[in-house]
Amino acid sequence: MKVLAIMKRELQSFFFSPIAYIVFAAFMTIVGYLFWIVLATSKMATLEPMLYNAAFILLLASPVLTMRLISEEKKSRTIELLLTSPISPAEIILGKFLACFVLYCVLIALTLQYPLFMWHYAPDLDWGPIISGYIGLLLLGAAFISVGVFASTLTENQIIAAMISFGSLVLFWILGWAKHAFENAFGQMISNLSVFDRYAEFLRGILDSGNVVFFAVFTLTWLFLATRALESDRWR
Amino acid sequence: MIEMQNITKYYDNFRALNNFNLKVEKGEILGLLGPNGAGKTTAMRILTCFLPASSGKASVAGFDIFDDSVEVRRRLGYLPETPPLYPEMSVNSYLNFVGEIRELPFGVRKQRIGYVCERIGLDAYRDRIINTLSKGYRQRVGLAQALLHNPEVLILDEPTVGLDPNQIIEIRNLIKDLAQDHTIILSTHILPEVSMTCGRVVIINEGEIAAVDSVKNLEKNATGRPTWKIILKAPESFDWQSIVNKAPDAQINDLVQADTSEFKLRLNKSEDFDDLFKVLTKENCVFREITPIKATLEDVFLKITHGEERKENA
Repeated sequence: MKVLAIMKRELQSFFFSPIAYIVFAAFMTIVGYLFWIVLATSKMATLEPMLYNAAFILLLASPVLTMRLISEEKKSRTIELLLTSPISPAEIILGKFLACFVLYCVLIALTLQYPLFMWHYAPDLDWGPIISGYIGLLLLGAAFISVGVFASTLTENQIIAAMISFGSLVLFWILGWAKHAFENAFGQMISNLSVFDRYAEFLRGILDSGNVVFFAVFTLTWLFLATRALESDRWR
Repeated sequence: MIEMQNITKYYDNFRALNNFNLKVEKGEILGLLGPNGAGKTTAMRILTCFLPASSGKASVAGFDIFDDSVEVRRRLGYLPETPPLYPEMSVNSYLNFVGEIRELPFGVRKQRIGYVCERIGLDAYRDRIINTLSKGYRQRVGLAQALLHNPEVLILDEPTVGLDPNQIIEIRNLIKDLAQDHTIILSTHILPEVSMTCGRVVIINEGEIAAVDSVKNLEKNATGRPTWKIILKAPESFDWQSIVNKAPDAQINDLVQADTSEFKLRLNKSEDFDDLFKVLTKENCVFREITPIKATLEDVFLKITHGEERKENA
């Protein structure tokens, strides 16, 4: 119940500030353009390039959505209300995460119009990779948001929080390049941590349970760290 | 109801509280008084489980603040120095949110919000966005938030700061009213505030308790013997020395105007004044003003916190 209360309030304030609207507008414009330009050049009924690039836009956008989650509570001192209420840091973090994830799901749902368009003109559309691609996109979003929530617990400055999560997300993107640099077990180990290599597999229609577990563990780890960071504020 | 034992708090190397001991009984209003930076807020934050103490023990309503922190928080209402408000919310939805995280079921929540708003004078403002409220009304919303779950213990950090004189009186009366069913700790650096609301005062200076007593006792101790200020118009033939003889402790401070005199009289007993009064009327003196001088908490405070320094300087 308390988690839902936190989530509800957070969603409310998302739509009170212009941030949510601006992120939505920018994302939809870019994705719309991507859909059109990819279709016009390749003339193929596939959504893979659009979804791949959408993930990149989300990497830019998600720090903007997550940066205020805890930072703002710290800055406006409302954190004192939360931490002196009978509510645990884990519930606060989970509520904040869910609020942002719900917002993210709405954003993703808006792009479902493109496969529907395609289906209208190409009735024998291959739905497999599209469904697995969207599953991948949701898991990827959860991972992005969890990193952002963690970054937001570290500071009361939203810009710093955004920069920390942006930096971390880019790092987890380019880790995959290690396997080209070192063609040995070490390179493979590092690139296993890359969220994008795993996401790319979803786009190709491969629903590997290993990848699903990876995203789940990745998300839970960051949420756990965020909880500890919030607690440590109290004990520092 | 509230107990703190040997609480010490360090921020890095700075000692904010040192061996803090405090006991508050049920239904009491305790004032924490001290200059800025004395450790009032730190003490309150420790009690509300917002900050941990470096050492020592504390309990609220029988629950330890470390081991049963959630139970303690269920029984506490806390108004921090800056009211913890979400500016984009309406008063109603804000209080509803606070009720949700304070575990009030839907029906109770509605009823309590109605009751608290009425009591604090927020009824007409329930649909207003907090951002558009004045400082005084924001403070009220902060207080409403602290009262919402009808907590046993209320901790108010400078509840009247930033309010206009009328609002200050309203909030003070409200706090006095609340003491009937709540135990209250409030902090302030405004001295008249404690003498008007609090039964007992704890004076904090540099993280240590400098004095604990009732307001009355503290005042008495600071003035010592009864003192009066007298302004009178005396005939020219009047012999000042005779007054001094009559009351050996009388001090003639200064002549205010050519034809009136201002005295500050310090006597051993109140009854001594009767004799003096008779002498003065016999001498055809006309009284303009007779005022008993009471120590303000200001005096008390200065005496306690700077007493040692003064001795050293003297």
